[in-house]
Amino acid sequence: MSGAMISIREVSKVFNAGRANEFRALDRVSLELSLEESTVFKGPSGSGKTTLLSILGGMSRPSSGRIFLDDREMTSLPERFLTGIRRSTFGFVFQQFNLIKGISALENVMLPAYPTGEKFSLLRARAMERLEMLDLGRRAGTRVELLSGGEAQRVAIARALVNDPKVIIADEPTAHLDSRLAREFIDIMCRLKGLGTSIVVASHDPIVCESALAQRVVEMRDGCVVETGRPA
Amino acid sequence: MIRRQRHILDFTISSLLRQKGKNGGLLLVYGVIVFVVASILLFTHALRREAELLLRDAPEIVVQRTLAGRHHPVPIAWMERVGEINGVTSLRPRLWGYHYDPLIRANFTLLVPAENQPPAGSVDIGAGVSKIRGAHPGDIMVFPGHDGVARSFAVREVLSGDSQLLTGDLVLLSENDYRDFSGLPSGQATDLAVTVRNPKELGTIAEKITRIYPDSRPIQRSEILRTYDAAFSWRSGLLLVIFSAAALAFAIFAWDKATGLSADQRREIGILKAIGWETSDVMLMKCWEGSVISLTAFLAGVILAYLHVFLGSASLFAPVLKGWSTLYPAFRLTPYLDFGEIVVLFLLTVVPYTVATIVPSWRAAVTDPDQVMR
Repeated sequence: MSGAMISIREVSKVFNAGRANEFRALDRVSLELSLEESTVFKGPSGSGKTTLLSILGGMSRPSSGRIFLDDREMTSLPERFLTGIRRSTFGFVFQQFNLIKGISALENVMLPAYPTGEKFSLLRARAMERLEMLDLGRRAGTRVELLSGGEAQRVAIARALVNDPKVIIADEPTAHLDSRLAREFIDIMCRLKGLGTSIVVASHDPIVCESALAQRVVEMRDGCVVETGRPA
Repeated sequence: MIRRQRHILDFTISSLLRQKGKNGGLLLVYGVIVFVVASILLFTHALRREAELLLRDAPEIVVQRTLAGRHHPVPIAWMERVGEINGVTSLRPRLWGYHYDPLIRANFTLLVPAENQPPAGSVDIGAGVSKIRGAHPGDIMVFPGHDGVARSFAVREVLSGDSQLLTGDLVLLSENDYRDFSGLPSGQATDLAVTVRNPKELGTIAEKITRIYPDSRPIQRSEILRTYDAAFSWRSGLLLVIFSAAALAFAIFAWDKATGLSADQRREIGILKAIGWETSDVMLMKCWEGSVISLTAFLAGVILAYLHVFLGSASLFAPVLKGWSTLYPAFRLTPYLDFGEIVVLFLLTVVPYTVATIVPSWRAAVTDPDQVMR
């Protein structure tokens, strides 16, 4: 991951443009993110953290401005290529976990790799490996709605890891966890960081913002970056 | 590529199984609709085909006599003047009629064949008559004649043929037996069968017959075919109209199911996109979903309709479609599948449903998966 970089240049995102309820979620944000260090975006609700993560990860396009992954501009890529980059580069952990109910933990973990057409046995083995890495091997066949909150989040992390992404993007990952599970999440992320995966997290939880995960902290307010730096 | 299809199909099936109740209900309603429409199509088509077989060897013109607008026996003496008309190649009197058997509440058709008449005191019977009366070659059948006196006939043989409609209710007997049984005097026939040299002259010859005998009614074969066709089309149309209310309800149900993606379904599409599925992957999944449901319902509906019509004698719709059949011996239609109609049925059921499933999913799939983050 050495030298890998995401550049955000003058990025704005406007929802409901031209309507009475127009809302500017991001206002000309510029930022350079080195993927060698883990970054935490902090700020109150509505400050634009989630929107920025969504644009960073290629899940949403900015209204204006440009995004570069290394030297490759992502902003104007056709959906197919953008999805390809998203699949191979980013793994997402959502605030609500966003697992597909009614199917097993193992199937949920395998889902992101289905469109790659990889051999089923290899895919299954890799998904099992990710679950076992997160101590969930014995729960692989369990339907996800029967899992505890902590287990569900670990399934979401395993799913984010199944395509071997370079970057894990996590949005408010501890919002629904108690402090013990929040610390457990941080431990897992630190472990992944140690294995060479970059971590980008949006959170206003002090447990996250003051953890070892926060090698760099970017503070946001009203759609703008107000401060960026490293904790003392 | 094939593995990608397989993975997505596997996930589609597991998705369908997750909502067993809802999808099972949809499959049932959908299958019943296809079953009913396919039954009507197969049945009316099979009846038309039976009618075609029936009329294939029919005379080109049948001359009847009418009295006060009703069918009346024809004097055989008419043959002399009709036979003199230019273009008429042959002419023969026909003896036939119906016999209602109160025991089994069925009508039989009595007919004196032009050739190979059974000897006096014996009859050849159709498969329907044989079955309903339990009569086989060598058995004796008793029918009450026009004067109420019972006549006994020995069964010579049971008729076989391409068409059950043609032979199912038939009782063949000799001329003398028929006249004795029906009370039809000698010198009279039920009608006259006319064949002509040039089919283009049929209309002219029919006109000439009417001119010679104003109380005659010449009926051309094409007119009989048209009448059959109109009757079957009308009956099937009637059923289809009644049925269209149910079909409309299904259409609304399917449209609602397909277009009204629930919040969960939209969320699921958003999740799939967010974790790395392309719009085309989502569309492929939805395409499989629509195809699995509609093809299963279509195949189940068509197969059940085939069994219902050709093995079950269309017991659910036959009274409406056959109309007069309540007094008719039960017969089994000759299995026949018109692929053109099956294709039309396929296009009318599978394609609209699949499209209706895909369009709203496409709308959900092309939106940013970003909302899943929120």
